Formats: sequence, structure tokens, C-alpha cells
Amino acid sequence: MKLDAHIPEGPLERKWDSHKFNMKLVNPSNRRKYDILVVGSGLAGASAAATLGELGYNVKVFMLQDSPRRAHSIAAQGGINAAKNYPGDGDSVWRLFYDTVKGGDFRAREANVYRLAQISSQIIDHCAAIGVPFAREYGGLLSNRSFGGAQLSRTFYARGQTGQQLLLGAYSALMRQVGAGTVTVLPRREMVDVVVKNGRARGITVRNLVTGDMEAYSGHAVLLCTGGYTNVFYLSTNAASCNVSAAWAAYKRGAGFANPCFTQIHPTCIPRSGEHQSKLTLMSESLRNDGRVWVPKNKGDHRKPSGIPEEERDYYLERRYPAFGNLVPRDIASRAAKTVVDAGYGVGPTGHAVYLDFRDAIKRKGQEAVKEAYGNLFDMYYQITDEDGYKVPMRIYPAPHYAMGGLWVDYNLMTTVPGLFALGEANFSDHGANRLGASALMQGLADGFFIAPATVAGYLGAGKFEPVTTLDKEFADSAKQVQERINRLLAVKGEKTPSEFHRQLGNVMWNDVGMARSESSLKKALKRIPEIREEFWKNIKVSGGDKDFNQTLEKAMKVADFLEFGELLVRDALERKESCGGHFREESCTPEGEAKRDDANFSHVSVWEYQGEGREAALNREPLAFENVKIAERSYK
Amino acid sequence: MKQNKHFNVTVRVWRQAGPGEPGKMVSYKVGDISPDMSFLEMLDVLNDDLIKKGEEPIAVESDCREGICGCCGLVINGDVHGPDEHSTVCQLHMRRFKDGDVITVEPWRSKSFPAIKDLVVDRSALDRIMQAGGFVSANAGAAPDANSVPVDRDRAEAAMDAAACIGCGACVAACPNGAAMLFTGAKISQLALLPQGAPERAARALNMVQAMDKEGFGNCTNEYECEAVCPKEIKVSNIARMNREFLLANLFSKR
Amino acid sequence: MDTTFLKRLITTSLGRKSLMAVTGLLLGAFMLIHLGENLLLLKGETAYNGWVEFLLSNPITPLLELGLLLLFLVHITAGVWVRVEDFLNAPRGYEARRWQGGRTIGSATMLYTAAAILVYLVYHMLTFRFVDHSMGFYQMVTGAFRSPVFTSIYVAGSAALALHLSHGMQSAFQTLGVSHPKYTPLIKAGGWLVALAMLGFALISLYFLFNMDLKAAEAGFQVIIIR
Repeated sequence: MKLDAHIPEGPLERKWDSHKFNMKLVNPSNRRKYDILVVGSGLAGASAAATLGELGYNVKVFMLQDSPRRAHSIAAQGGINAAKNYPGDGDSVWRLFYDTVKGGDFRAREANVYRLAQISSQIIDHCAAIGVPFAREYGGLLSNRSFGGAQLSRTFYARGQTGQQLLLGAYSALMRQVGAGTVTVLPRREMVDVVVKNGRARGITVRNLVTGDMEAYSGHAVLLCTGGYTNVFYLSTNAASCNVSAAWAAYKRGAGFANPCFTQIHPTCIPRSGEHQSKLTLMSESLRNDGRVWVPKNKGDHRKPSGIPEEERDYYLERRYPAFGNLVPRDIASRAAKTVVDAGYGVGPTGHAVYLDFRDAIKRKGQEAVKEAYGNLFDMYYQITDEDGYKVPMRIYPAPHYAMGGLWVDYNLMTTVPGLFALGEANFSDHGANRLGASALMQGLADGFFIAPATVAGYLGAGKFEPVTTLDKEFADSAKQVQERINRLLAVKGEKTPSEFHRQLGNVMWNDVGMARSESSLKKALKRIPEIREEFWKNIKVSGGDKDFNQTLEKAMKVADFLEFGELLVRDALERKESCGGHFREESCTPEGEAKRDDANFSHVSVWEYQGEGREAALNREPLAFENVKIAERSYK
Repeated sequence: MKQNKHFNVTVRVWRQAGPGEPGKMVSYKVGDISPDMSFLEMLDVLNDDLIKKGEEPIAVESDCREGICGCCGLVINGDVHGPDEHSTVCQLHMRRFKDGDVITVEPWRSKSFPAIKDLVVDRSALDRIMQAGGFVSANAGAAPDANSVPVDRDRAEAAMDAAACIGCGACVAACPNGAAMLFTGAKISQLALLPQGAPERAARALNMVQAMDKEGFGNCTNEYECEAVCPKEIKVSNIARMNREFLLANLFSKR
Repeated sequence: MDTTFLKRLITTSLGRKSLMAVTGLLLGAFMLIHLGENLLLLKGETAYNGWVEFLLSNPITPLLELGLLLLFLVHITAGVWVRVEDFLNAPRGYEARRWQGGRTIGSATMLYTAAAILVYLVYHMLTFRFVDHSMGFYQMVTGAFRSPVFTSIYVAGSAALALHLSHGMQSAFQTLGVSHPKYTPLIKAGGWLVALAMLGFALISLYFLFNMDLKAAEAGFQVIIIR
């Protein structure tokens, strides 16, 4: 596999501009002759489809749900970063770039991250122009807040539902193009394969989720905007339909998969309450500004929290990280919670939780002030747990949240398959080993509104395209392969449901490949996952047929892919013998137990290449060069 | 008082094999329910049981399960989105029920939301209303600096109140006339309140209202059931604003 | 000449509703004037007949009558149209569906109160408008009020009207887009007052039915009546 990132020549600040100048263009009157297939309608997909439609291309958008507005981008709470420096506290493109590279623990590409920081301001301008109701000051100008431990205020927000408002903005731009006739929306369709002809992505096979029919669509470029794979852990903050299947199909057609082991665990989620749990709900980490995290000093102390005297409480974050206390970054807070729970100090009915206590904040500021800042989160906590966070400490526990890894893309967001692009969380590009808060929305929209429209044009303008129709053999072959897999699933008629297998896989992933990973735990998982997969294909039960609206079949197909992908994630984690960002290898830590990077051996992107069914994936490496920032160690002591 | 004991209920669910097929209510017993379970998790448990028995599980839509995506929507014991006020079905927990309860579960029933299967309906009519004018016509890359257009904070907040709509369709399901006025009014209001939406105000109001009519949604009889069930507490003042926008546009714009 | 805007008043849901609202508000205003007229009955025969004579001798009156008829026709046509549509579009098949706090008795019964008012209106026309007026208007009206049957119907009509307006007044303002956090509560209260005022028709007829010679009540009315 040849990995050429196609990073433009020249100084960092000039790369994107000169690249835009050097890329080929497509004449406005020719654009409607190009068919572009966009898979997914989240921030990246909706914004890319809308913008390509505005430019005059002929665009089709595919999504699982009944409407583009349902994509999981909608659930993002916090905000979106931009280097506007409106508050005048010293922000700049360079600082946002630097913070993102450092926050990603020096495992991201400098050129991509710099471009992201450059574009960040344009995103805010555009979103304000299309009617996103951002929070404002009394003077009518945009309001900013600080986020994720940043030392300045660069986060734009719309109450606690920034993702929703940005997605609805992109969705409205998309609806405008549908009305104008440049974009066609095809809801309730799942992409099941990428069709490659003569080495280029020329179409997709989708399953119509209502009729169960296999449908073929041809085009000149395919954009995968299909989100992240965190549901491989079964329980995560992601929506039920989030999956790896589209990216996995692309991988099997030759797209390299980069850094699958880079996953982010969010520290402030509501813990699970039992076996029935289907998802974990995230509460904004702003709670840690005022809440104090603690566990009892004595193991198995089952007294009510109010009955545990001050001297028997262990405020372990404040104890271990006196400088940052409860405000240490996500990965560190998460791991610390796991450490105390694993040692037997966990609280609540399952023992898999720690306290987040607002007693002192209420004493200091009054309940009203706490309510004003976090009222909606306390309400949400009450609704789910039936407990009043003002009176008893909240119980929290980390949960899988975001995938930094994804399909490998070059500077043009193109995968190793020409004509196949990956945008947003589906690609690996900008967050390195750890994503900073409020950066996911920024990346999704940068990719969709600004980068892909330029680079896709560059791709289309650069080459000639042989005519392709959906009657070509490649499309029939693709549909046949997928149908065979579906038939196999239906034919098993075993005893266990897709959810049961998913839960089983999730347990292995969470326990052995979760917040902390070791060679032995990873090897254990590497043995366990193929066993579960084997059992899956012998014992899965899918009721109903395939030519129908069949949610069990949909789920089974997703779980089948997770069972293959999970193994790749473990393999990647095993290969990366360093700790960095969200990837913590117990063997690679400082004497105090903190993560230790190994720049000499692992300053690269691991890109996995499919070798065919039943064969081990091949590892390729894209070395990372840091020419503009000085590599430093992260310390929060 | 917190209850911790597990309990049993009977759910009576609308089963319909496909579009245009006849449907009926079917009863199922669900046992060993934890009060901490969400209502949808209870249906998950029931569905896994049905799969194991070789029966078809109940088709039901949900995605984010945190009340924001707008996928879920059921009428539970006659209540749109269930008995909790201003909440989506996915946020409803089984502690709201007790041992032996019989729970009736029905889909949104509106002429404009054709049935797909069991509890799943097609809400794409709402997208088509949006296509008629629920946007600002500004292309990516053309915008001035975001702070070049100050927005009155109260208006920005009111726009945000309207923009909070999750497009679940509860307003339509609850309306005695199957109207989509609250949905349409919220979007027209959001963009009418912001200066960015001003240039297209007249066309937007005229086009969206006519698109709404075309989809076969009913009239507004100002009974405000929509406001009572809206999970995001969208106010009917947004419907009044839509009415105002429409009437003024019709009488005084050049369109 | 572009008449699209006129067509839209008829072809769109909001257009039809606005016609219904405007005519409804004007009819409401007429009912308040009509109530004022009826209060003259309490003042006595001279006052009442004097007012009626004034109306009959006024050349504008037939025009006003025609306008009133038009208001009724538009209100009824728009109303029936809207209601037929609503009937066709209404969600169907809910086994259990409970109203969750928006509906009121007034709003739920608009169609029934409308029908009752229409029936009553026809009766009213037949008994007062298209009859021999030679005995004098005051005698005719108060005579009718002394009939228990007539007054029962009259009270029922007023009650239906009150119930209709309890929803209709605020609804008309909402339909016309008049909504403001400061004024909407006042409009709603005002709507209720107008609705309650409609019971005044019933009280006047009951006054004559029972031939009440309540000085106090009369004194009260005297204050209200414009001299």
C-alpha cells in the first residue's frame, strides 16, 4: 500500500492556499455532469452534500435514518472551537493548531491540523450566516466560553445543544439544495459496499431498509461521512445506529484503516444500571468545574455517601494531580476512575462508579447558582437515575465516546482508493491520539463545507472518467456478495440474538481493550474475539426475512462487522507499545503510573491493509514529521 | 420513595406487517423489569425474547436515546411521548409504571405520516416542508465576519427557543387535526427572528405554509395540544408568528 | 392584475383561517353592540323603540345588514371548510388518546356550538326579523321573553355563544398573529370577558321571563345604559 499524504510544499501557513491554487477546477457548466455519492448526513455529510450541490454537482445523499436531521452529530453538547480571538485573550490560528497537535499527543499530521485551525473561523461565519442561533452577549456579538481545560475562550456554542444547531444548519442548507434539485436525499438506506472499477471508486451498493432491496448507484466520487466506530464497545455515548460497517466495507475494498486503537473515553457519564442498559448518557464535563470527585477511603464501604465523614473520603484527583485537580484532561480523569474502581473502591449498586459531589459548591455558591450553571444536567441525571444530585452526590463513570482513528486519508481527504473520500469522524486525520473538547464539530464542518468541495473538484478535474453504469459487472458482483452474506446470516437460525453477541463483544472490548490495555489483556481479547465471531456465525438468530423492514437483520450485519473490526482494533493496540492520548498501555508508563509516549518508535500513523478473508491485515506506516512544533511531554501534575 | 423490586407488565402493541396492511393490537407479557430500565430498553428485552421464540420483533424507531435526535415517538397509554411532561419516549423510565400494569403502545397516527411497519412511520413530509424554505440562501464561503451582524440577545434567545425543535412529529401526532403548525411555525420563527433570515422572510413564510398544506397536514384550531406535548417546550407563540409572517407577506410583499 | 394574494386567502390553510378569524372578531364586536341594544330593553319601551326606529329610518342599515349577512356567510363557509379538512386530516385509529392539557371544553366543542348558534340564528330570524312588527318592537321582544319555551331556547343560544367565544376570541387573535408575552394574557382575559358578556343576553331574557322587578338590578343596569 502506497501512502502518499500529498502534503503541499511550502511554509505551513501557505500550504492550503497554494494547494487550492494548484488543484484543477471544474467548469461551472460541466459540474452537473458529475455524480457525487455522499454516504451519511451528519455534520460532514450534510455540509459536503449541500456545498457540492451549491457548486452545481449532481449529488445523492444516503442515510440510515428517516431524515438527514437524525444523524448523531445532533447529540454533541458543548461547542465548536474557532480561532476568532473575539474575547481578545490571545488566541490565534497558530495557538489553536498547536493546542490541537499537543492535545492529540503528537500523533496527528501538522499540515492537516493547521488547515483545520485556519478554516475554523470561516465555519463560524458561515454558520452564523445560515441562521445558527449561537449564544450572544448583550451587545449582540457572539459569546465564547472556555472548554476542555483550554486556557482561553474559543468555544462558540448554542446552549447545551451546539451539535444539534450546527447539524440543523447544515441540514437546512441541504434541504435548500434538495428543493433546488441539485441534491437527492435517499433515506433509510444502508451502504453495504463500495464499488471499485479499474482501481477507482465508482459507486456504492446500498440496502433499502424498507423493502430490503439491493440498490446500485454509480458516480464519479464517493464520500464516506459515516461517523465513528465507538459502538464496538457495545455501551457508549453513541447512538444505536452508529457503526463501522460502511468504513469496514471500504477497508475491504482497499482503503487503509488508520489508528483504530485511538478511541476516546469520556469521564463524566451516567453509570450503567444493569444488564439491560442500551446506551450511556454523557453529561457535559463542565460539571467538573464545580463538582469534586471522590470515593470512600475504605474498600467496600456501603454507607450512604452522606454518612461517610470527610476524613474517610478520598478526593483522588485532587490528591494525585494537585495542580489541575478535578480538571485534568479526559483521558487522565477516566483512567484514574478506573484505577480506584478496579482496586475495589467503586460506589453505587454495581460498584462501577465514583462520586461527583456538589456539596461544597452548593455550600460556597448556593444551590441557585449551581442550578443556573448546570440545572439541565441535574434534571437529566434525575430523569435517568431518579436521584437528586443536589442532595446526594452524582455517580459517574467513564464511557467510550469518540473514535480518533478511522479511514486513512491524504491531505485531500481521499482514502487509498482513488475517488473514495472520508470526512468527519470517519477519517483519522486531525485529532491524533486524543481529541480536544469542541473540536469534533469543527472538523466535521471544515471537511464538509470547505475542504472536500475543493479537493473533490481537484480530483474530478484532474482525470478522465470512463463511462460507468450500474449495469456493469462490478455492481452485480457487489450486490451478489452482500446478498450472500445476508443469506448466510439468515440461514444460521441459531439461538442468540444480535444484541447478545454485541454485548459479549463489548464486554471483551471494554474490559481488555478499554481505558487501560496491556499485552496480556490484548492477547486475551485477540483470542476471545475470533471465538465469539465463530460462535456468531454458528449461533446467530435473525427472525424475519431480508426483503422487509428488518431491524434484527440490520443489527446482525453491524455486529458481524464489529466482530471483524474489533480484532483489528486490538491488533493495532497490541502493535502500538507506547501510551499516547486515549491509548494507554500499562507497560508504557512513568514510575508514577502516568502515560509515557515513545516517539522514537511510534511517531507514525499505523495504517492497516486488508489482505482477504481470514488473513491477517498488513501494517503500513506513515511517518509523522513535526517541523513546526516542538514535541513535549504532557504533564498535569 | 425509590422502588427497587423487579416487576412484570403487559404491553399491548400495535402490530402492522407493512404499509397498507391491516394492523391490530397484540398483548405481550414482559417480566423481570427493573425500575431503572428505560421504556425502550424494556421493549429491547421484549424484542430479544420474541427473536428467540422465532417471532418477528416489534419494529420501533429510536437512535440517540438521549432525547435529541427525534427518532423515537410513541403514544403510550394515550399520551404522546408517554406520561412524562416535555420529554421524549427514550427518556421515559419503567419506574413510572408498577407491577401488573397494562401499557398500550401505538405509533404516531397521522395521514401525513404513512405507516411503514408496527410502530414505525414515515415522517419525510416534514423534510419536504423544510425544502420549501426552511433555510437561508447563503452559499458556503460567501459569509461576512460573524460579528459584522450583531443580533439582539433577546431575539437570539427566542430564535434558539424555536430552533430547539427536534422534528419528532409529536405536535402532529397530538393535534386533533393532524396539523404541523408548531413544526413549521418554529422554523419560520427562528429565521424570522434573526437578521440573517430577514431577506427571505416573505418568500419563506408563503412557500413553507403552502408546502405544509400540500403534504395534507390539518389546520390549526388553536387548541395548543402541540405545545402541551412538545418535548422541547416549543411555544405556540411561534405559530402566531408564522401566521403574522404569512399574512403580512401575502398582503404586503410583492409576491 | 395579480390576484394571487386573494387566491391565497382562500387556497391556503392560514388564509382561510384568517378569514374565519377576521369575520369572527367582527361578529363578536357586533354581538357586543347587540347586547348594548338589548340592554335598552331594561330602560323601557321608549328607549328601545326609539333606537329601533332610528335604525329602520337610517338608509345605511340595509347595507349594514347585508354586511352582517356576508360576515356570517364567510365565517360559516370558512369554518365549515376548515372543519371538513380537519376531519379528513385528523389522526385516526388511536385506541387510547388522552388530551394532554391544551384542549378546553370551549375549543373541543367549537363545531357543536357553531351548529347550535346557526340553528338558533335561523330561529332568531324567524321569530324576530321576518315577522309582523305591528305590535311594536318592545312588546314583541319582551312578549317573547315571557314565554318559557322561547327563553329556554334563547338561554341555550346565549350559552352556546359564550362557549364558542370562550375559545374563539383568543383563537382569532392567535390566528391573526397577534401574540406577545405582555399582551396575550390580556387578550385571553378579554376573550373570556366577551364570552361571559354573552350570558347577558340570557340574563335579560330571564329578567323578563320572571318579570323581575328588582330595583337594585335595574339601578345597576341604569348605570351601564348609555343615556
